[in-house]
Amino acid sequence: MAYLAELAVRGVLLGAIYGLLALPMSLTFVTVGSIDFALGAYAVLAAAVGSTIGGVAGVAAGLGAALAAAAAMAAIFAGLKRVGVDEPITISLASFGLAVAIGSLILWVWGTRAFVLHSFDDVWVLLGIRVGPQSLINFAVSLLLLAVIHFLLYRTGLGRMMRAAAINPAGAELSGIPVTTLQTGTFVSGGLLGGIAGVLILFSAGLDFTAGLSLTLSGFGAAILFGAHGPLRAFLGGILMGVVEALSAGLASGAVSAMVPLVVIMVVLAAGTVGGVRFSGDRP
Amino acid sequence: MTYWRARTNTLVLLAGAALAGAVAARDAAWLDIAIAIVINALVALSVGLTFGQAGILSAAQGSFAAIGAYTTAILTLKLGWSPWLALPAAISLPAALGYGLARLVARLAPLAVALATLTLSAMVEIVLRSWDDLTGGYVGLAGIPTVLSGHPIAFYALAVGLLAIAVLVYENLMLSRFGRALTTIRADRARAMADGVAVPGLLSAAFALAAAMAGAGGWLYAHYFSYLSPGSLGTELSISVLLMMVVGGARTILGPVAGAVILGVLAQLLPAQEVQGLFYGGALIVILLVARNGLLGLVRREGAL
Amino acid sequence: MVKIATMVVAASLLTATMAHAQSPAAIKIGAVLSLSGPAAVFGLPERDAIEAVVEEINKTGGVNGRKIELVLHDDKTDPSEAVRGVTQVTRDGVVAIVGPSTGSGVLAAGPVAERLRVPLLAPAGTASITDKKNSFYPWVFRAAPSDQTDIRKILADMAKDGKRKVGVFYQEDAYGKVGLDYGQQIAKELGLQIVASVSAAYTATDLTAQATQLREAKPDAVFMQVSISALGASFNKAARQVGLEVPLYANAGLAQKSFLDAMGDSGNGVRVLSIGNLPYEPVEPETRLVALLKARGKTPQGWGELVGSNGLMAIVAAVKSVKGDLSGPAVRDALETICGFPTYSRGKGCFSKEVHDGWGEDVLVITEIDRGRLKTRP
Repeated sequence: MAYLAELAVRGVLLGAIYGLLALPMSLTFVTVGSIDFALGAYAVLAAAVGSTIGGVAGVAAGLGAALAAAAAMAAIFAGLKRVGVDEPITISLASFGLAVAIGSLILWVWGTRAFVLHSFDDVWVLLGIRVGPQSLINFAVSLLLLAVIHFLLYRTGLGRMMRAAAINPAGAELSGIPVTTLQTGTFVSGGLLGGIAGVLILFSAGLDFTAGLSLTLSGFGAAILFGAHGPLRAFLGGILMGVVEALSAGLASGAVSAMVPLVVIMVVLAAGTVGGVRFSGDRP
Repeated sequence: MTYWRARTNTLVLLAGAALAGAVAARDAAWLDIAIAIVINALVALSVGLTFGQAGILSAAQGSFAAIGAYTTAILTLKLGWSPWLALPAAISLPAALGYGLARLVARLAPLAVALATLTLSAMVEIVLRSWDDLTGGYVGLAGIPTVLSGHPIAFYALAVGLLAIAVLVYENLMLSRFGRALTTIRADRARAMADGVAVPGLLSAAFALAAAMAGAGGWLYAHYFSYLSPGSLGTELSISVLLMMVVGGARTILGPVAGAVILGVLAQLLPAQEVQGLFYGGALIVILLVARNGLLGLVRREGAL
Repeated sequence: MVKIATMVVAASLLTATMAHAQSPAAIKIGAVLSLSGPAAVFGLPERDAIEAVVEEINKTGGVNGRKIELVLHDDKTDPSEAVRGVTQVTRDGVVAIVGPSTGSGVLAAGPVAERLRVPLLAPAGTASITDKKNSFYPWVFRAAPSDQTDIRKILADMAKDGKRKVGVFYQEDAYGKVGLDYGQQIAKELGLQIVASVSAAYTATDLTAQATQLREAKPDAVFMQVSISALGASFNKAARQVGLEVPLYANAGLAQKSFLDAMGDSGNGVRVLSIGNLPYEPVEPETRLVALLKARGKTPQGWGELVGSNGLMAIVAAVKSVKGDLSGPAVRDALETICGFPTYSRGKGCFSKEVHDGWGEDVLVITEIDRGRLKTRP
């Protein structure tokens, strides 16, 4: 029983990172209607740059790099909109192209090495469970960002505009809301949040050039778990995914725990709640 | 004669492949690359059919190819079947799976469908990796009986033949009322339903046909390379053929084939493996921005095929 | 029409090859190695060592008075590219090939080597490459100790220290899974018991759950069947965090600089199996290889250089003992007769008709991480 409790606690701490990744994923999904496949790549890029420079300067540089990459995605999105493309599939495909390109760039520049830095060596014991301070920091940071985004979305004028643009883009445009600007801003915020996640993982378990796509999928799975409607649901989805993953990794075999996020995504998708009921080429 | 005049794609393909074959035959390495390109073209054609005509973006075509390849590998290696007898099985098993999957997800939004296929692809790979007794697990299956071994030119001809049959079937489909119905579905699903088209059934049939094509590609792969591992045909291939389709032109029949040729040749000329992703990703973005209907879409007007 | 063209092409190729073989030309040896892609971390050192040794041999008179010409091909850590590489270098007239670098590359290229009749000296540990059931068995020789040998060495060291209960952490691929299976077989023989095994995918973000599962089984020691530095370092971190405080062993796949860097100070005391200790504590004859590499401006990275050069030296020894015309089949036959030939690694290389695994435990060392270096344990 204590073992299960321990696994659950570890899962919650792990899930904070997924929740953090789920935040921008849900924001992009709600405001733009598509997925930014490059989210994981932003995280890995931030970790790579951060590990090379090290220290606080490294963190800043890492976030900067992630923001730059996300700015590239925002520019691509703006470009696509300008040539008349706004199908979610095409935008997602473009973000996928960027994800692949960034992953390859990281491999080329940094090679196959691990991006990991040491933060704390000591271990705290909370309720009989050994926890590293870094995991608690991760959780605190994620919770803080959740609060900030929630406040932004529901208590500020900017948030109101974003929600309006999400619910009815045409109507929002007519009301003078700069929809495209808001949407590009969403992509850029993805860079910041993804970068933060990358830096946190850099100081925790570490990662290498292959981690990008799986981080993206984890973030996506977490975002859609409770319905991709808002940041709180996305974050909770992340926590739940973390707990499920920790339990299956601690109790079952590797293959099972690898299947878990995939089955979750499949089930949620099949339930038909993602993406509404617009078919391709449907009447507006 | 009018039969063939309406099916120019098949003729163009045969002519092009013959020319390419004559050039490649001089060098064993290029012939090997040409065969790999034809196999990729088959799988790319399958994703062109589902996305270009039916509007379903499938990230699982590589997995259907893998299922076809493993089916034939297990039948020929472990049960001693002849590769020719295993060919129908390699084609029908993926088709059946494709039909089933499509019926499950056809009614979902395009992005959801694409993600479902991506997820399926990852699951198939995990199953192939874990089911040691059947698939050899991570180590894979070595020593699969080869077909026409020692005669790569004959194998090239066989591969082109299968590709040509696939293109011919694709052309026939698009010329028939089912093809017109598919085009209507892609343009305006509500209208298609109003026309009395059985949308889920037709989409699933198209998806099954595409899966069958991919399975044929897998059969060719297994009996040429003689070695299969879970990573040989899978998510990576699914993504590459998506790129080939976009680069060549999703709406045109030969677009994916053209994309396969272009990317296959360019991959050989790239200096290092590390930059391949940079190149592919960049190419994808550029094509989406500049030539959304792919290179063949630039050359031909939409609908002129 | 095509048939005539093919015959003409084949005839001219044949004439060219025959003409080539008659001149007192260089001995062509192929090297199909992973110079890019994930396995490049092993393939690049393999190539560096082979090039250094070839230069040295040519400087001191060559083999039987003939110089060696190296034909290199990058297999990009891709089995199909490995097949292409073997085909191409054979077409260029090599009599033997060092490579491919990876087990899957060898399994893919094996049938081709059999068909083209050229022997492969593979620096790969995957056991199935020298499985007698393969029809291409006669043409594949192993230039490194097998994964089985590696695991036996680790478990023997554990047994020597009086450990009985063993935990295993393995990565989810052939290397990890098959390694675990061997571990279970060999542990029984040595009187040890594998009490728990946990795995993780390459991209796992957090291994504390896995480490906790291992800790609950109370092992006396844990070994990591892992070849990805990030994964190994991450597990070590997780193990310390959850209180899994038993001796940790890393298999040879982690004897790389990037692993030592990623571990940092938390790595002190972790034992790493290595093939020789070229970068940190080389002994004779490894020191001579270090000198050759340094003369070309290369720093030893790990053990890639040793297995690469071992493969080359095996071919050299076989070529030396061939009486008559040099050809793939002739070299292959000779390879099955050489034993105790000169190499740059410790231990003895030995092949026979029944044994295509040339090297055993005597080329392995157990080292311990000490402030970013690997110290050989006595």
